[in-house]
Amino acid sequence: MKLAAWLRPILGAAFAVLAVVAPVAFGATAQADTLDDIKKAGKIRIAIDLAIPPFGMTDEKMQPAGSDVDLARLLAKDLGVQLEIVTTTGPTRIPFLQTNKADLVVSTLSITPDRAKVIDFTIPYADHPSVIAGLKTATIKQMSDLDGKKVAVVRGTTQDADLTRQAKGAQLIRYEDDATMALAFASGQVDIIATARSLLPAISKKNPARTLEPKITMQTNYLAIGMRKDEPKLLAWVNDWVRTNLQNGKLIAIYKTHHGIDIDPAMLLKAGG
Amino acid sequence: MSYKFDFEFLAERWPDFVAGAWLTIQLTVASIALGFLLGTVCALARVYGGPAVRRVVGVYVEAIRNTPLLIQIFIVYFGLSSLGLKLSAEVSAIVALTVNMGAYTTEIMRAGIQSIQRTQLEAADCLGLTKLQTILHVVLLPAMERVYPALSSQFVLLMLASSITSQISAEELTATANLVQSDTYRSFEVYVIVAVVYLALSALYRFALWAIGLVLFERRRKLGTPL
Repeated sequence: MKLAAWLRPILGAAFAVLAVVAPVAFGATAQADTLDDIKKAGKIRIAIDLAIPPFGMTDEKMQPAGSDVDLARLLAKDLGVQLEIVTTTGPTRIPFLQTNKADLVVSTLSITPDRAKVIDFTIPYADHPSVIAGLKTATIKQMSDLDGKKVAVVRGTTQDADLTRQAKGAQLIRYEDDATMALAFASGQVDIIATARSLLPAISKKNPARTLEPKITMQTNYLAIGMRKDEPKLLAWVNDWVRTNLQNGKLIAIYKTHHGIDIDPAMLLKAGG
Repeated sequence: MSYKFDFEFLAERWPDFVAGAWLTIQLTVASIALGFLLGTVCALARVYGGPAVRRVVGVYVEAIRNTPLLIQIFIVYFGLSSLGLKLSAEVSAIVALTVNMGAYTTEIMRAGIQSIQRTQLEAADCLGLTKLQTILHVVLLPAMERVYPALSSQFVLLMLASSITSQISAEELTATANLVQSDTYRSFEVYVIVAVVYLALSALYRFALWAIGLVLFERRRKLGTPL
């Protein structure tokens, strides 16, 4: 390809500008330390999905509320910085970290080996069993009972990955978030859903004629705080913070307030090593 | 740039993208065809119908053109289901996209029909054409030829808008992207690929519409000039 002589310097200059601007525009943070940045800015950006009560939701005054929100508030207070909640959704939780839209993710994020390849996890702050749930009248005892049935799941969640592997005969209907999946169940589009046990009361409340009941426990996951890789200072600080607040009972109390369940700090600390 | 592009997952996942693009094509070709029929009938009703018919069509067109497509899709999928009419995600998507397409086509075709001069109708009358023949050959086809560029654009826009049917679990191209992205965490790469596929689909649709135009419109085929 032959370029007109007058075009070459212009193109050269354009590429030079790109080379300088691109790393800034794409948020190159290889050298930066997030914990220092947070303290310097006096503000921590925490990504939370506000469509999964009772972890993240909006209260009657349209303010963020829920156990993940309370945890984030406590963390920001103890770090001595302001909290900026970055609203996220299930499928975008990890991309928000990767693209530097958030410093931490506190959003019912279960620890999985696949995720651990791309982000770092703190020690767990809660346990989180996933279940297959259906109407009271349905008989579902094992995975093979799902053959040929429609099962709703939120795309990209651990339930999605587990079901894809374990329930090959089931027809998976994938929704983008819990709220849409709950609506699909309440409106009768699906009769079986795979989700976290903690969500069942809230989904059942939407349509009392269709009350959900847990049928199969798929697995117990551990919820942890996610952050970008190679942040040793931030990871150490948050790990200490979780350990301290599990031991002094503050995190247990937050969970109890929103879920009505006592979690066992000894089990979590053991799982966290 | 600290970001490292990695397209390795394509080797394994490309059939998913093909399946997603195929469903996008099926959904949109069906709703373009049905929506065009619906819109043409409504346009004729709006121009030649009685006052009551005209008002009904007017309400339909304004209601659809002034509400978001996503809300229309939710109403069909969740609303009808609550009333007991359970349509699958794909059927719901086709119904909602058809109703949406119909409203826009009504307005575009109405403009075309109103652009046909009275003298043309009088000439048809003198030649002894029946009412049906007049509408088909003298009114509709030339009207369509006049507004064909606008129609084509609307068809391509519908194809692009069909991406939001992923919200009701129709596994079309955008839903495929969300799925692969959530499995592989290569969000940037996945959306770049999908953008390129949509671009290719748009080019394909425009080419197909151009070819259909050549077949339909004798004048364009023979003279190469627009009406």
